[in-house]
Amino acid sequence: MTFESTHCFAADLGGTKLAAAIADARGQIVAELTEPTDRRGGPHVAEQIAACADKLARGAGIDPARVRHAMVGVPGAIDPLSGRVSLTPNIAGLQDLDVLGYLRDRFGPDVSIENDVNLAMLGEQALGCAGGCRNAAFLALGTGAGLGLLIDGRLFRGARGSAGEIADLPIGRDPAALTPSVPGSFELEVGSLAIVDRYRRQGGTADVTVRDIFRLLEEGDAVAATVLDTTARWVALAVATLQSLLDLELIVFGGSIGVHPELYERVRRALPAFFSRPVITARSQLGDRAGLIGAVCAAAQSLCQQQTPAQCAAAPGTHPAACDGAAECRPGD
Amino acid sequence: MASVTRQLSRRSVFEALLHRSPISRAELAKVTGLSKQTTSEVIDAFDQQGLVRPIGRTSGNVGRTAVLYELSPEGGHVLGIDLGARMTVALADIAGRVLAEADEPTDSRGGTWVLDQIARLAGRLARDNHTHPSRIHSIVLATPGVANPKSGAIEMAPNISGLGNLNVVGLLGEKLGSPVTVENDINLALLGEIWHGCAQSFANVAFLALGTGVGLGLYVNGHLVRGENGAAGEIGYLPIGGDPLQAESRLQGCLEYQVGAAGIVRRYREAGGSDINSVRQVFERAQAGDAIAAGVVEETARLTGLAAATVIATIDPQLIVLGGSVGARPDFADKVARVLLRLAPRPVEIRTSMLGKRAGVVGALSVALRRLHDELFGVAELAATLPLPPPPARASSALP
Repeated sequence: MTFESTHCFAADLGGTKLAAAIADARGQIVAELTEPTDRRGGPHVAEQIAACADKLARGAGIDPARVRHAMVGVPGAIDPLSGRVSLTPNIAGLQDLDVLGYLRDRFGPDVSIENDVNLAMLGEQALGCAGGCRNAAFLALGTGAGLGLLIDGRLFRGARGSAGEIADLPIGRDPAALTPSVPGSFELEVGSLAIVDRYRRQGGTADVTVRDIFRLLEEGDAVAATVLDTTARWVALAVATLQSLLDLELIVFGGSIGVHPELYERVRRALPAFFSRPVITARSQLGDRAGLIGAVCAAAQSLCQQQTPAQCAAAPGTHPAACDGAAECRPGD
Repeated sequence: MASVTRQLSRRSVFEALLHRSPISRAELAKVTGLSKQTTSEVIDAFDQQGLVRPIGRTSGNVGRTAVLYELSPEGGHVLGIDLGARMTVALADIAGRVLAEADEPTDSRGGTWVLDQIARLAGRLARDNHTHPSRIHSIVLATPGVANPKSGAIEMAPNISGLGNLNVVGLLGEKLGSPVTVENDINLALLGEIWHGCAQSFANVAFLALGTGVGLGLYVNGHLVRGENGAAGEIGYLPIGGDPLQAESRLQGCLEYQVGAAGIVRRYREAGGSDINSVRQVFERAQAGDAIAAGVVEETARLTGLAAATVIATIDPQLIVLGGSVGARPDFADKVARVLLRLAPRPVEIRTSMLGKRAGVVGALSVALRRLHDELFGVAELAATLPLPPPPARASSALP
């Protein structure tokens, strides 16, 4: 088998949808698909990931046996020793499943799993707005809240794989209140359920989604504006916290809610009141493909590292070169 | 002998001496894997340079006894300085043995007076240990704030006057006759705990310092986190403990306004406590059963726990060390740990700083020592630095 004909597989598993791609050894995507995540969870989801790989390979006329390396992003913390996934409230049954072991049974040993937001950070670093960054974060706001961290140019996962699990930031309610905040308090303020709930409590229509709230805002709905102002304030507090702790050069806003200009601009406006030094932020350039593209880059790199240096050099454009040519975005503009 | 090969031989013999002294030539050859002849050549060269000295002979074995060597204290010295309301200066030899330490209140006139005071203390320690200041090859200064890499001035250190517009790095280097490195005192306290204290063999540690102010040192995957502008860990402004938009929070930092030394005293007075002027008294009264003081201490632990919870959610350290004059108080770590049980779904171990006031100066010595070792035995082809020697069996009692 030649290096040229070897392919890699990448997937980004979310609570509602699964995105997957097959790329060549240069990191160029040859086939890509998105489908709803199997609601039954657990082993069904693991099976679905494997089925996607087969489907993509067949569709692109690639021998599935030549799909050698796989990188799967999962919405949870991964224990660095056991490979177990935890903190995945959005997918049933993933907690008890040895996802990595299952995927290795299907793909062979060259499978890795990585936190989805970490992969989004890698994607933005490789092809998006964080090119050249050494100390940066990807702040994902959607159903939940998560953070991918780059420290000194490398992903930082923490001692137990749960660095960046900022749903648990003790930011929320009244920070001055004497009763202790509860675990998960930040997500209870900024997660999509919290936003919808806030809209309802302030007298908005009962049956809305966050997407509806953004649409209502455009139509001049005053409650929607207040709700987003409040949400943005909590997010700004979290950004101030991150910046106090880590002094980052860039914070990339992603996730369906974080990337929305109406929320992003509100956070930018709220921030100077909470943090006296400048903070550089940008909206994710890769949007909802950030995680998948990060997974492709990581899988292609892993494929490349298994080749002899000559093969690697003979494959022009292999990661990281495959990941250049990105349009530069000017953070903070 | 090719030059890189020779460098590598010298380096591995030095490393063996650093970690296994006293040791014979035969044992050195065995440990390093070098030939007996190469080992002997290196030892002879070290002997001529004054790097090693014989300290006895092997005993108990059949046959001829062999000379045992150790690193000579004359091989080179390093100086660590911790600058705060008091200054601590410590002198160590090339093997990391602390030879002397001195401690006195920092000259309140600030600026060059402080630099003169450091030079005077350093000179005294050198003389008392029969060495010449010129034998001090590597100096590290721990200060609050951060050193500006361009001007050499120390910024964000409001408690020591006159250092913000002085080229501290340059001037102190001239006075002491050796290059000076400045590093944040909390970062160095953290490195001190990792070398000689309660965080030995940990790769991911946070050091939470509570004293006059508050600060955080972060060590992840074996490296300090300094941040893009050296401002990582400036947690005084964390939005914890009050309204981050009120004037005091914006001026002093929301968290520091509550849990800095002045904040603790202020909260005690606001709660109706009277007749005190120091944090120590608040803690002593809490111990003696003063309910108001106990409440203030509990609240301080709660806010510290909230700060620790933000660190856990973001960084996921293996260990959090509590240090500083307030943070290192007995029982305080237990109180914070209890708060964390309620706050963080994945609590981590909390320990009290083992080195206390000495943490900063020990950390400064560790960095100075590493630099000296790298200068003498660094090999460009090897990225890794030499591992530091282990702490002495009785670290504190070895000191004057």
